[in-house]
This record gives sequence, C-alpha cells and structure tokens, in this order.
Amino acid sequence: MEKQIQDAYIVAAVRTPVGKAPRGMFRAVRPDDMLAHVLTEALARVPSVDREAIDDVVVGCAIPEAEQGMNVARIGLLLAGLPRSVSGMTVNRFCSSGLQAVAIAADRIRLGEADVMIGAGTESMSMIPMGGHKIAMNEAIFRSDENIGIAYGMGVTAEKVAAKWHVEREAQDAFAVESHRRAIAATEAGEFRDEIAPYRVRTMVPDLETGEVRTIERLVSDDEGPRPGTSMDVLAKLRPVFAAKGSVTAGNSSQTSDGAGAVVLASEAAIKRFGLTPLARFVGYAVAGVPPEIMGIGPIEAIPKVLRQTGRSLADLDWIELNEAFAAQSLAVIRELDIDPSRVNPQGGAIALGHPLGATGAIRVSTLVHGMRRRRQHLGMVTMCVGTGMGAAGVFEVL
Amino acid sequence: MVQVMKHEIRRAAVLGAGVMGAQIAAHLVNAGVPTLLFELPGREAGDGSGPARRAIEGLAKLDPAPLALPSLAEHVQPANYDEHLGRLSDCDLVIEAISERLDWKHQLYERIVPHLAADAILASNTSGLSIADLASGLPAERQSRFCGLHFFNPPRYMHLVELIPGPATSARLMDDLESFLVTGLGKGVVRAKDTPNFIGNRIGVFSILAAFHHTQALGLGFDEVDALTGVRIGRPKSATYRTADVVGLDTLVHVIGTMERALTEDPWHAMFPVPAWLGRLVEEGALGQKSGRGIYRKAGRDIQVLDPDSMDYRPADRVIAPEVDAILKDRDAARRLSALRGSEHPQARFLWNVTRDTLHYCACHLESIADNARDLDLAIRWGFGWQEGPFELWQSVGWQQMARWIVEDIRAGSTLASAPLPDWALDTTRTGVHGNEGSWSPLGRLQRPRSALPVYRRQPFPDRVVGEDRTFGTTVFESDAVRLWTTGDDIGVLSFKSKMHAIGEDVLDGVAEAVDEAERSLAGLVLWQTEAPFSVGANLSGPSAPKSGRPPPTALGSMVKRLRREAESAILKAARRLNVADALMAGRLEKIESVVSQFQATSQLLRYCRIPTVAAVDGMALGGGCEFVMHCDRAVATLESYIGLVEVGVGLVPAGGGCKELVMRTAADARDGDLFPFLRGYFQAAATAEVGRSAHHARRLGYLRASDPIVMNRSELLHVAKAELTALAERGYRPPLPARSIRVAGRSALATLKAHLVNLCAGEFISDHDYQVASRLAHVMCGGIVEENSTVDEAWLLALERTAFMELLATEKTQARIEHTLRTGKPLRN
Repeated sequence: MEKQIQDAYIVAAVRTPVGKAPRGMFRAVRPDDMLAHVLTEALARVPSVDREAIDDVVVGCAIPEAEQGMNVARIGLLLAGLPRSVSGMTVNRFCSSGLQAVAIAADRIRLGEADVMIGAGTESMSMIPMGGHKIAMNEAIFRSDENIGIAYGMGVTAEKVAAKWHVEREAQDAFAVESHRRAIAATEAGEFRDEIAPYRVRTMVPDLETGEVRTIERLVSDDEGPRPGTSMDVLAKLRPVFAAKGSVTAGNSSQTSDGAGAVVLASEAAIKRFGLTPLARFVGYAVAGVPPEIMGIGPIEAIPKVLRQTGRSLADLDWIELNEAFAAQSLAVIRELDIDPSRVNPQGGAIALGHPLGATGAIRVSTLVHGMRRRRQHLGMVTMCVGTGMGAAGVFEVL
Repeated sequence: MVQVMKHEIRRAAVLGAGVMGAQIAAHLVNAGVPTLLFELPGREAGDGSGPARRAIEGLAKLDPAPLALPSLAEHVQPANYDEHLGRLSDCDLVIEAISERLDWKHQLYERIVPHLAADAILASNTSGLSIADLASGLPAERQSRFCGLHFFNPPRYMHLVELIPGPATSARLMDDLESFLVTGLGKGVVRAKDTPNFIGNRIGVFSILAAFHHTQALGLGFDEVDALTGVRIGRPKSATYRTADVVGLDTLVHVIGTMERALTEDPWHAMFPVPAWLGRLVEEGALGQKSGRGIYRKAGRDIQVLDPDSMDYRPADRVIAPEVDAILKDRDAARRLSALRGSEHPQARFLWNVTRDTLHYCACHLESIADNARDLDLAIRWGFGWQEGPFELWQSVGWQQMARWIVEDIRAGSTLASAPLPDWALDTTRTGVHGNEGSWSPLGRLQRPRSALPVYRRQPFPDRVVGEDRTFGTTVFESDAVRLWTTGDDIGVLSFKSKMHAIGEDVLDGVAEAVDEAERSLAGLVLWQTEAPFSVGANLSGPSAPKSGRPPPTALGSMVKRLRREAESAILKAARRLNVADALMAGRLEKIESVVSQFQATSQLLRYCRIPTVAAVDGMALGGGCEFVMHCDRAVATLESYIGLVEVGVGLVPAGGGCKELVMRTAADARDGDLFPFLRGYFQAAATAEVGRSAHHARRLGYLRASDPIVMNRSELLHVAKAELTALAERGYRPPLPARSIRVAGRSALATLKAHLVNLCAGEFISDHDYQVASRLAHVMCGGIVEENSTVDEAWLLALERTAFMELLATEKTQARIEHTLRTGKPLRN
C-alpha cells in the first residue's frame, strides 16, 4: 500500500471555538467568514510560508449550499486575502468532510504533486439546517426495502444501533455525562488554548428605539457546548426524540453546532524551504461503507481498515478522537472493537463540544495534534461515522 | 346600514395582572386593541415590569387558551405603576382588575387619575364591590366617565359582560362602551343595577346555594346532584359542584361572603353562610381544580367525590335514577315539572325544590337587580351556560301554573324563604314575561323592547328568549336537508337542517338547488347556520337526520368546558358523522364513490357558480365543512371558529376538494419559487388532522385566507357575511377563471414527505397504516408521481383525491377504524 513518494506534515492547525446552533454565539456568523478566519489564523502561525506557494485549499462542508455554497473554499480563501493564484475546492463526505479534506490535501503532497496544501472544514448549522434548505428525496428508495435506510434520519439509525448492540439508556446517559465532565475539565485547564483562534463576532441589529443600526462586538474563545451541571438525573428526564420507546435523547446525542478548522500541510522540501516546525505527520486514512440504517457503526469497519493500511494496531494508538454523533453508536464502536475508553476523547466529544458536521474532522485534527503534543503522546486517530452508512478514520503521528 | 362606533378604543390598559386582568388584556389583543398590562413593580433591577411580564408569559400556560394565537402576546405590553403611569394618557379605556379591596382600589385611582386622558373611560372589573362606593374615590369630574365592567372567567370564552353605571356615569359613555364590547370584543352585554354581585352571580350563586341546601336536606351525594343538574337539564356538563371546583372554591366563598355581608335585608339571608364542609375545604387549601383537590379529586384513573359528613372521599359513581330520568326525558316543561313536583323520589324532589326556589328568588329580586326579565335570563345563559333562563323555564311551564305551585309551596312552608311573590308575578292575566314586544320590566311596569342602540342593528338574529319570534326570514325553498331564505333583500341565506349540520347527499342536492335558485333570482349566497357548528363534515350514510326541535344552545359556559375536549375529539365527531360503515359493509363502495364525486362537484359549484358565495363560520367546520369554507369566494369566521381537515383521523384523506385547495394555495403562496416549504405546512396540518383553535389559528394553518374577515361577535356574523357578499356582488361579480395550470411539487417532494413518515414509523410514533394513510395524502398533495413543477388542472387533483379516498376505504384497517369509531366513539390505532 505504500505508494507515496514523500510524507505530508502538519505545520499549523487551528479552529474556531464551536458555537451552539441554531441559537448560539455564531448564529449570525457566516460559514465563509469562519473559514476565512481559520485560514488567516492558520497561516499566521507559519508566517514564513510564501502564500503563492500554497497549491490548493481543500475545504470540507457537509451541506454546501446557501451561505456555504458556490464553492465555499474558493470564496473563503479569497475573503482571507490569499493570492488569487491559490485555488480551492469544497469536498463533501457528510460528517467526515473535514477529515476527508485534510486527507486529500495530504495525498496531493504524498503524491509529490504539491508542497504546501491546506485542509479545512466549515459548517454553519445555524444557517443551513441538517439536510439543507430543500431535502428532495428520490422516490426510487421506496420501491424496495433495501434502500429504505437512505430515508432514515440519523437519530433513527442511532436507535437501531442501540437496539442491535444492546446499548442501554443508562449507559448512553453516563457516557454523555462523562463527555461533559471531560470537556469542562479540559476547558478549565486551558487544554484547548493552543488550537482555538478566538473570533470577534460582530452582530448588526436594528435599534428600534433610536432608528439606527447597532453593532454588537464580542470576542469568543471558548466552546459553547459543554454544560456544567449535566448529571444522570438531568439527562434521565429527557424524552426519547426519535422513537416512542427509544433511548436516544437530545442529551446523549451530539449537539448541532457552528465552527471551522484549518490545517496547513507541507512536504519535507517545503519545511526546509520555509524553515517550518512540523507538528505531526499524516500517516493514513480510510473510509468504509456500512448499511445506511446502522450508519453509526461506520468506525467499526473504518478503524481496522486504516490500521491494516498503515500497519498499526489499536494498541499503538494513544489518543482516539471518536466523533460522538450519538452515545449509542460511540459505545457500540468502543465495545465492538474493545477500545480502552480512557483513550477515547480525553477532552470530551461532540455530545459536549458540538458537531459542526463538515467542519468537525478538521477541528478534531487540531485537538488531536495539539493535545498529543502537550501530553507527549505519539500516535493518534480521528474517526467518525458518516450518514447514509460510512465510517472514516485518519491516523496521525506526533513528532 | 353601517354602524360606526363613535368612541373608538384605540388603546387600552388593564390594571392588575392577576388571572382575570391578564386574560382581559389577552382578549383585548385578540380583538386588535394594543393593551398595556399594569402590575406592581418587581424587585429585580432593570426589570420593573417583571411581574406583569411574567403574567403575560403565563397566558401561554392557561387552558383554555386566552389568546387566539400565542404570538399575539407581544401586543400586551408589560408595565408597572412606578415607571409607566404616563403611558395611560394614550389609553381610551382603562380597566381596573386588582384585588377586591375598596381601600386599595381608591388608592390606585388616586394615583392614576392625573394621568388619564380627559375622555378616557375608567372601568372596574369588580364582582362584588359597589360601583357607587368605588366612584366616591374619584374626583367629581371623573365620576361621569367611570362604571363597572364585569367580565366572567374565562373572559375570552364567556359571552357575558355586565355593565354597571355609577350614580354619575354618563349615558353616552354607557352606550359607547356597550357598542365597543359588542362589536369590538364580541360580548353579550347586560346592563345591571349597582347591587351586590350584580345579576349573573347573584342568581347563579343563589342557585348553587339552593342546591347546596337541598343536597344536604335530601341526603343526596354531590356527584348525584351533578348528574341531575348538568346536560340533562340543559346546563353545563360541570353542573353544580364541579363548576364550583372549576371556578375555585375560594372564589366561590368570596362571592358568597359578599352576599352574606351586603344582603342583610335579603329574605334568603339565612342561606348565605358558607356551608361548614366548604369552609373546611378552603381552610385545607383544597380549592378545586387549581389545587388538584376540592369537592372532587382524582385517585389514579378514578374520580372521587367528597362525603361532607365524613369529610372523606368516595368513588364518584352515583347516577340519575331511571324513574327520574324518564321524567327528565319529557320535552314538555309543564308535564316535566309537574311530575318532578309530584314524585316522592329524593332526586325529583331536589330538582323541583331547587327550580322552585330559584324562580321564587328571581321573581322577588328582578326589580332590584335588573331592568327586565330578558336581562336576567340572558345573564344566566351567557354567564352560567344555562340553555334557558329561569323566567324562560317559568314561561314554558305556563306562567299561572308555575306561580300557583310556588304560592302553594310558600304557604306550605316548604320554600327557603316566606317572601311572597311580587304582585306582577301574581297577575292572573299574565302568560309570561317575554314576548315580541319586549320583556317585563317591573320598575317600568311595561314590556321593555330590545335595546335601540345602533350596534344591535348589526344583529339580525340575536340570542332570542322564549316568547320571542324564533323564525329566520322568509323561505325561498326548503327540503328535508336545507332551507334557502332571505330577510327581504336579494341575498340568499342557506342553512343546513341536518344534525350538527353534517353534509349528506341530501344536503349536497340542497346546495346545488340553492345555487341554481340563487343564480336565477338572487345576488348571491351566504352559507350560515342558525346555530353553531358550521358543519362537522360529510355524512355519506344517507338522508341527514333532521335536528331536534330544541332551541339552539347558547353554548356559553358549557362550551368553555367542552372546548378543549371538543377540539381534541373533533376527529371522532367527524367520524361519527362520516357514517360510512354501513355502506361499506353492504359493499356499496361504488355508491360511495359517486357521492364523493358529487361532493367534489358541489365544492366546485360553490367556487365557479355565477353568483358570489360566502361561508359564514361559527364553531366547528370540519372535514367536508372545511372544504365548503375553502371553496366559497369568501369565508367570514367568528373568532371562535374551529376549522380543519380531519379525515386522516379515521384513515381517509379529504376528498371534497380540500387537498386540491391546499395544493392550489401552495402554488399561490410559492409564486414562482420552491413549492415544498409551503406544501410542508399544509401537509402537516392535514396529516395530523389539526383543527384551528381560533379563526386566527385557522388562518395560520391555511384553512382561512388573509382576505377572509374575522368577526368577534357571533350575532354579527350574518351581518358581516352579507356585507361581504354585497361587496362582491356590487363590483360586478364574475367567478374566477378555472385554474388550468397548477404547479405541483411532484415526486421528489413526495419522496421527501415519505422519508419523514418512514422515520416516524421506524420510531413507532405512527403505525404502518398511519404511514399508508399519510403517504396517500402526500401522493395527492404532491400531484402524484410526476416531475417537480409539472402543471396540472383541478380535475387531475380531484381524481387523485377520489382514488386515494377509495383506495383507503377499501383497506381493512381504515374500515376497522371507521367501524370502531362509530361503535365506541374512540379512535382506533391500528
């Protein structure tokens, strides 16, 4: 499998804090503005890089329409002031779009066709609802039972996973409580400070008293999702959302969120040319398909696949960022693959930190890289399940 | 013809954000009057109006809903006495509704008076204090613009408002305010004299006290009395004791206390102390519905009732004895009362005693509390939900007969007081108190005609009392199912005669015939029913059952209690009317399809006939009734209109053109844009059989159009409908051009709706058959499996409706649903 001619290294990784959608701190912040912000901030950390040397900007976005449509990658990079010679493309693999973007950027370098690449992700779930402004299904999916899973909402698939893997409500709630606990502890300890590029939110509102437009400015630097006081008692009161007799609640599911992340990748030649310090090496990436109706188990297929591909074992991994789409599917993956829970999401996951769909992959790469560097760990992974039945997993090595 | 209100109420203020104050403010905004709601300032910094704001927020939690739409709450502005008194200068009407303490009210008046506009009206919603005493706290020049304005709880739904002048109140103010209350707020106004508890509570609460007394004297159970004094005798279902629980026992004790304190000269004064058991309940904090326990309480799924001797609860299971029930079934009032009086059964004796004592009390006090007998009867009908007032009953029995019985009982010492009947009641030539020329006014010693106030010219058919002409115009033609009539002009009024105004084949025939006649000889057609509801929908089982000869229910108090339940069980009622089971079982599917076609043709006729058509809606307009409303050129609806397409509830889809209309409205809403966002809302309402909880809500759901006016007073409905019709006719009416190219959402939208249903089904929120029914509805509403933005015509959509209807009707599960609903009155989930 080792066909690459050179390695790709991460030389900068930043993200916005993650806001709650649809009524959170970024509710009026455009996803292309968030993207421009993280591109600017990522490049600010490698000032020596000649902007003209950037070969391409690959941006993940799960629902690339409206404010994040029209090839948001190109618009974002132009808004960020990058030279017009720099190109951009938007990629969509739903929840793994951000990770996919980093992998594509790395692959361009690994093939020897580029020396400096940016992989990023941006998503505003406040502005573009899950599924987009116009969901338009194909009626062919109702012609046979085989494809009915395409019609399933993510929550229903989580219920199916919970039932099939016997993940009880109590375990799901306990997992959610722990996610919040870890996220709050990490935030309080400043663990996210290296990766977060604070964002100055400017909101323009009509002041009906004065008849003037009032601009409200606020600098945000912390994730909005973690909720102190999340306890088993509080979560037990929530009712199942997706099935009458189900176990999946708003409290043990990922939060809908807004955010963006960007990663600058460089070849060894570029590192030498611009005098850069590599933070981590991109080791490998794999995706795998699973039945759409149990999409949450995607990592069960993707993780072994990427480990085989990269010649590593689960035991080699110090830190696994497993996107918590739902506690039910996270626990099914952890139990099925027998993963040590203490290595999974040590700083909390999407249940507490939020899940801005196509941005999450790029955001969690930043978390992984900076976190492992602080803890002097070596090998880590970002993995997630993907709607309509896929899993994705990427492996990163901190140097 | 047009009756303009001379004194316009542009803005209003309500002082006191208690349950009554906040609800009065809510009803003012229902009527389109921006309103300030004042309360004492709160302690929170920067939020001085916190208490008022919280009261406004609390409106959303009250049931039945005080607001016609939750979003109307933004038009009730919170205010407090420290910061906002200056804003009172903009208000044309200020209603004081604070606690019933004379000193507090006087203190408040002193504070606010300097801020009132010179011609503003100040009114107190007091239920017990003297208006004269309240007025004495005002400067002399203010007293002419002050009066009592007594709403009944809940103010949106209770029709009665008592208007009480003070000693110096200007006659002009009374007229202006009455006109506003009638047209603006939709109320039934009764002018009362300034006596304790005015008219409604004076008589209504006396009747409750009499019931308390005889319950104990005859050893009856409270539940037994409620069985006797509820719907069986034309009173609200909550009858006597449950009504007390609903009102709040503390409130009741307060009102009784006013009688005991202020009516020391009343011959019945010995009746007024609060019964010991009631006092004890209030002491214990068992105040009725609001505290979860009162005269009744819930024990698991069972209802228990208080036993006043042991002060413990027992199961509430006592019913009317068969022999008494047989008496009550007699429609003839004289025979009924005679039988009750002659019976030895304690239940019969109870009913006789309470009736006799109430009539005795009314006769003795009429002169002091009201101008005339009609005011007293209407106050009780509108404020307490009785179908007929006390004097109406007396007159129905036969005045002389009833008077003799009362006199005999007085002599026998069996009445609650020995006061003699007044001379006018003993007049041996008297046949009643009500007649076409007016109702008896003891003080004037004449028959008082109905008010000549111009606002009442807007009410061609007000709620009428026994003895008044109860006919409606001149018949143009009449069948077993419908009647077409006019009031002497050229506007045809079509009224259905079927029970609950259900629409069967004969009604469809009648509508067609009426349209035919109207095209020949009339300017247009108004669909108006002589009493609510507008129509509960289709009845496919055969000739409509003519409704009973009973007078139209005033529906007031009883309606309030029934309101929520009715909206919820609207589906059931529709199903009952939709009596298709027999035909099904007899294999008459073909016959049914032809009736469905006829239904569609009738809807189309209402739309495309050569004369304008106006649907005048009050109460429920469900299923087929809703479809008629949607097809008329205009609908005029009272605020209390409950409109919806409910067919899905029994496993069917609307097939009288309702789906077609929703598709056309979708296309109109979307203009040239995406259809789906508009389709989704209409689909959701029809797929969940949602019924609008007010005319405003029906507009939100899409069953009424923005151009369909909403009227506040049901008695003005016909007047406004005719005005709309005249406007349509006057402009040289031509029917709309047929819709030849209706854009439909097509197959992707259908798949998207089905995807949503698949999720509900997978989550077991809906059954497989629910999925089937809703999928068929989606199929129709998307225009079938065609490309997005295909254009179709009405015939295409009507054919889809028919096919879906017949396909569903052919399924075992839909048949089981209909059959089950007809048999048990409950929905079947299968």
